[in-house]
Amino acid sequence: MADPNTVVHFLNQFFGGIGAEEQAYAPVQEKEGPVGPGRALQAALGDQAAVVSTIVAGDNYFTEEVESAKAAVAEILDRIKPDMVIAGPAFDAGRYGLACAEVCRLAQGMGIPAVTGMFPDNAGVLTYRKEILAVSSGIDISEMASVVGRMARLAMKLARGEELGPASEEGYVPRGIRREVMHDRPGYERAVDMLNARLAGKPWVSEMLITGYDVVPPATPLKNLKESTIALVSTGGLVPRGNEDRLVGSRAEQFFRYSLEGVSSLSVEDWESVHGGFGTLILNTKNPNYAMPLQTVRYLEDTGAIKAVYPWFFSTTGNAAAVSAGRRMGAEIAAELNEHHIDGVLLVAT
Amino acid sequence: MTAMPAIPLAVGANRVVRGVRVSHVCGDPALSAQKDWELGVRIVETALNSLVTAVSGPTLFEPSEPEPQEAAL
Repeated sequence: MADPNTVVHFLNQFFGGIGAEEQAYAPVQEKEGPVGPGRALQAALGDQAAVVSTIVAGDNYFTEEVESAKAAVAEILDRIKPDMVIAGPAFDAGRYGLACAEVCRLAQGMGIPAVTGMFPDNAGVLTYRKEILAVSSGIDISEMASVVGRMARLAMKLARGEELGPASEEGYVPRGIRREVMHDRPGYERAVDMLNARLAGKPWVSEMLITGYDVVPPATPLKNLKESTIALVSTGGLVPRGNEDRLVGSRAEQFFRYSLEGVSSLSVEDWESVHGGFGTLILNTKNPNYAMPLQTVRYLEDTGAIKAVYPWFFSTTGNAAAVSAGRRMGAEIAAELNEHHIDGVLLVAT
Repeated sequence: MTAMPAIPLAVGANRVVRGVRVSHVCGDPALSAQKDWELGVRIVETALNSLVTAVSGPTLFEPSEPEPQEAAL
């Protein structure tokens, strides 16, 4: 029997056992053998593959210093030359998912097959859908064992050079790649069956799945900033201290409007961020304007660079928010701004 | 305006401005108060300038560098 395949596993600072949000800037480091969820991965791989090394890096480090992080990972992969790279699973942690996707792309670029796992709306999928193979997960890490099991199975398929079936059968996030297949019955028969099932209220499955995002044509540029009124929006979870409206720290479905009348800057005394997806210490103890630059915009308004600032600030939390919720909130905000003939929007996204 | 421009560019935001870090997008607390303020102005001005710039699809705008200055960190 052939030697077991060698696997390098990638984890973030939390799953890699270094620490939580305070270690989000941890640089790329290596640990021997499987770590944390890597043990479940090793169990799932059995004696077909061995997790020889685990690469760990902080979520912020990887996404903000992506070139250095990639270089460090490339060096490790070049030294170990594993048969496979497995990253995550990241569930719906956006920075982690993005890091996993970057690791997979890097490995694939070096000729090493790679598999990751994450929630289908994870930033990693949104950014690199066509380029990565990601097992789909929910948002709850209690399903770690089952997700890791599916990642192991897919990784072994890749290692054996087997062709993958459709996403719905193999349990990975659709990549938007279409392959031609032969069906046993012509299309019109299948279409009529589907229609009959829908009319009878019976279950039916569409053969075509529409995924992807709206293509929004760019708005025509403003003619003159000095004549323009600008509105401010932030997904940084900024609220007046005390959060009376109870803005949530993740999975937001609502935004709130806060008056900027007579407010020239966001102060630490009067504002806080309730965003649950990154360390908010700096915003809460030093300067909330970093997540919504009111102070700077007011200065530009005073100097005449822009005509005016819309007196209502739109605030929500951009942390694992559902795409559908984001779309709806955007449409509501846009409707109000159109009603008031606002010219442009500055949106700070954290 | 974001510290992770890859995401909005990928999902089709047409005017994207690079910020500093997730935890402080529109400035840098490690700089002196004056330099931090100047950086914030550069970032917001870049964002406002993007509104008067024609683009044909997702476009990244980088806040321009000032003259060579003290290291940030």
